[in-house]
Amino acid sequence: MKKSLTLTDILITIVIAFIFSVIYKLWGPLSSIVGVFGLHVDQLIYGMWFMAATVAFLIIRKPGVAILAELAAAQGEFLFGGQWGISLLLYGLVQGLGCELIFAMYRYKSYRLYVTCLAAVGAAVGSLILDVFYGYIDSLAVWNLTLLITARLIGSILITGVFAYYLVEALDKTGVTKAIRPITEDDYKMLDDEMG
Amino acid sequence: MSISINYQPTWLHRINPSFKLLVLTALFIGMLFVHNPNFLLYMIIGALLLYLFCTGHSWKVVGLLAVPLLIIFLSSSTTMIFFGEGETTWFKFGLIHITEESFYRGIHLGLRSSVFGILSLIFALTTRPVYLFYSTMQQLKLKPKYAYSFMAAIRMLPIIVEEFQTLRQALKVRGVQYSKGVKGMYEKIKLYAIPLLAQSIRRAHRIAVAMEAKKFSKDSQRTYYYHLRYTNKDVLFSIFLVVWLFLAFICSEHFIVFPVEYVR
Repeated sequence: MKKSLTLTDILITIVIAFIFSVIYKLWGPLSSIVGVFGLHVDQLIYGMWFMAATVAFLIIRKPGVAILAELAAAQGEFLFGGQWGISLLLYGLVQGLGCELIFAMYRYKSYRLYVTCLAAVGAAVGSLILDVFYGYIDSLAVWNLTLLITARLIGSILITGVFAYYLVEALDKTGVTKAIRPITEDDYKMLDDEMG
Repeated sequence: MSISINYQPTWLHRINPSFKLLVLTALFIGMLFVHNPNFLLYMIIGALLLYLFCTGHSWKVVGLLAVPLLIIFLSSSTTMIFFGEGETTWFKFGLIHITEESFYRGIHLGLRSSVFGILSLIFALTTRPVYLFYSTMQQLKLKPKYAYSFMAAIRMLPIIVEEFQTLRQALKVRGVQYSKGVKGMYEKIKLYAIPLLAQSIRRAHRIAVAMEAKKFSKDSQRTYYYHLRYTNKDVLFSIFLVVWLFLAFICSEHFIVFPVEYVR
């Protein structure tokens, strides 16, 4: 199995990330209006941010895809006139790293639902760590901080984990993923069976 | 990174794009360790001067793009002002608890986000994406397969947006109804994401195969259509930066606006 990313893998990963930034862009304005009041309702859809990472990984199944997808999503957001700019790149990096670490723990060989959910938690933790530095969230009142962390974790597990998993499952049915996934033992076996 | 808007190229456009990106990233990381709102206030003045007079865009563009900055300031400061921890209470109503400490911390966060908003806008307004990626290949030795993939993907964006609009209209014509709450959101994401993803993955796959055949992924002995170098504009930018940071530091020591020096 060829492990390093080819140009095809990279281009597809970036395109997937861009699609999510298009979708996010249409939800984004809504969330920032809710965000002004500080009750963290917007945190529930924060998971949309990491979704590109898990979806791209579940489709391409190679190391490095999650980080690349997050960086590309930040870039995509930036191209659309995302207002946060450079800080996005750093957030993308830590979130991607969070996802990547979880997938690496399973040696990039497990594509199950709970691993995807764990990766979502990894991304959320990554973003929270940067928030401590950038947003001083540790200085919020305790109830407010708890609300923020809970909302973000629930949002990530639901969207980045569960949504992403079933999305890719549905995408498998369309047949597009067959062309791009690395060849596995099963494929060889199937070929052998066909040849008789 | 507007493509069709007219502008006068200024010295900011001629700075090496990778250098500009590295400097801004370094500034971002450095500012995570600045806890004095006075310093940020004086930094914002420098950034604003650069934004208003040096991007070479018309006042209309500069003005319009500045509007979201206010929203950034509000959204990043309010949570901390209303719900932050602190000792000296100014105002209390239900859950809202404004203290002196949380107020200045909130202002600090708002200022910090605004400085970055302005710097990012300056970067976006004065950098062409194509030059940025060529420069990262030449100066930062990014592998060509990454840089060209990004450039190709950027070209595919308008197609994706167009497909999105077609989808939206098609769904509207067919009178699709969504459920309420989380389930409705899932239905919505699914209805949009699957066709968009499937189409775009197929298209990206075809383009990538063609690009590989044309050796866009080749690493060694490449020739480039655009050559980007370091110029004296980079020196100018470095000098501006040093002077700007130095002045901001001096001012924050002598002309104190906010009566706190450490908000953490």
